[in-house]
Amino acid sequence: MKNLFAITLGILTAIGGFVDIGDLVTNGLVGARFGLSLVWATLVGLIGICLYAEMSGRVAAVSGRATFDLVRERLGPRAGLANLVASFLVTGLTFTAEIGGIALSLELASSVNYLLWVPLAALLLWFTLWRVKFTALENGSGLLGLALVVFGVALWQLHPDFGSLAHQVVHPHKPAGEGTLTYFYYAIALFGAAMTPYEVFFFSSGGVEEHWSRKDLFTARLNVFVGFPLGAALSICIAAVAALVLKPASISVDNLGQVALPVAVALGKLGLAVAILGFVAATFGAALETGLSCGYSVAQYFGWQWGKFVRPREAARFHLVVLLSLILATGVVLTTIDPVTVTEYSVVFSAIALPLTYFPILVISNDRDYMGDHVNGRLTNALSSVFLVIIVVAAVAAIPLMLLTKAGQ
Amino acid sequence: MSDQPAGRVLDLNLHLLDRQVVDTEGLLVCKVDDLELEPGENGALYVTAILVGPRALGSRIGGRLGRWIMSIASRQATTPPPRIDMSRVRAIASAVTLDAHRADLGVAPLDDWVDRHIISRIPGSRHESE
Repeated sequence: MKNLFAITLGILTAIGGFVDIGDLVTNGLVGARFGLSLVWATLVGLIGICLYAEMSGRVAAVSGRATFDLVRERLGPRAGLANLVASFLVTGLTFTAEIGGIALSLELASSVNYLLWVPLAALLLWFTLWRVKFTALENGSGLLGLALVVFGVALWQLHPDFGSLAHQVVHPHKPAGEGTLTYFYYAIALFGAAMTPYEVFFFSSGGVEEHWSRKDLFTARLNVFVGFPLGAALSICIAAVAALVLKPASISVDNLGQVALPVAVALGKLGLAVAILGFVAATFGAALETGLSCGYSVAQYFGWQWGKFVRPREAARFHLVVLLSLILATGVVLTTIDPVTVTEYSVVFSAIALPLTYFPILVISNDRDYMGDHVNGRLTNALSSVFLVIIVVAAVAAIPLMLLTKAGQ
Repeated sequence: MSDQPAGRVLDLNLHLLDRQVVDTEGLLVCKVDDLELEPGENGALYVTAILVGPRALGSRIGGRLGRWIMSIASRQATTPPPRIDMSRVRAIASAVTLDAHRADLGVAPLDDWVDRHIISRIPGSRHESE
């Protein structure tokens, strides 16, 4: 019974934890512009994140080593450092976007300008990172994030023709008036939103924080293979309601309120309130995860003590990095830069940085020295090699596409 | 490596360098930033110590960045670079396990400084999370 509870809790947390500001903005934006013609990109990203997270989780459970610990070990100190700098910048950019997302969500709830919410959000984040236990922090935000199921309810209440929706997904057709390059630029954005590197830093470091062993492999896999697909289903619901309500009215998404608008149309004020609660929980949870991931990656590269399973004094440098990252990210949000724009760039840069950490994990998960009998099976290796190609192609294509389309204009 | 721990022959690049070092209680100490090698009587090279810190790491990062790290670090330093003698290594697996306490090794002066001047001054730093 206790076991069943733990498994259910893990899955629910994975669903709520899957969606962050990147998924909210990108799915709303793409749904309003491209309908469901880009759902395939979310699905490709979903398979990718499942493979990547399963490998990292297995490596963490079997060897007790988290992702960045191994990145340096496989790539050496020089390439590892370059990798650390790139990954840290992308995670920091995502952290900035999430803090902006919390403030924007609070603005939706209160009509008080988001900039006034930023310091409060930062203070609350810092307190949570400093004092709240890892499991409480992970479960709390994940469970509250389930409020986003309201997007599924809204989709159902809009009484769409599900047959025609499914047809749009299976036979993707670029809408007239959108360029081919723009179409593929947003495909990469959706791919990056689903497959953000911090999710894996957090997942594998969390495995070490919670002292996973080989016995926990089953639970970890279940979280990934059940929780993530359900989380991706939520993302697709966000795109679908935008396609149904916003696209026919030619409303383009350039703020968070427009992402929630279809829910208000379908379910009224109460639905909107639940959606906003989901936004706050999802962005707050993701801000915790990205903030910790900033600390995890630096501490793991240098071999410092990290994690919330020890007293802050025993992991002094880790907590210092987390604190400085928070101050820096908050400072960037306070420059009045548009958080939605930051989010749009953060998902594309996530796709660009992905090969840097994916490749070392793929190598380690095949290394018997670390993994013993738990090395990748043939199917996993075949799939993850195909994904290595996809990830590299997406990363290489992202910057030229960004320049040619002026970031999707 | 003949005297410690069981005279194993290792590919240093693959099995020792950049590995996580863990103390007797499982606390993380540092990475194997570099190694101290000394020739034995038979002419073979033996690993005598794990070298730790920016001066050891800088020489392996190399290039202009590596020299820059080393020059900054040696300007700050008053003592020789921290080292952990191989006699303190108990096991080499996915981590290098020591039979010593992290606090007794004195390999992380920066950590002590950050702890004393910043982290310990924030309320709640001595307690586990709740």
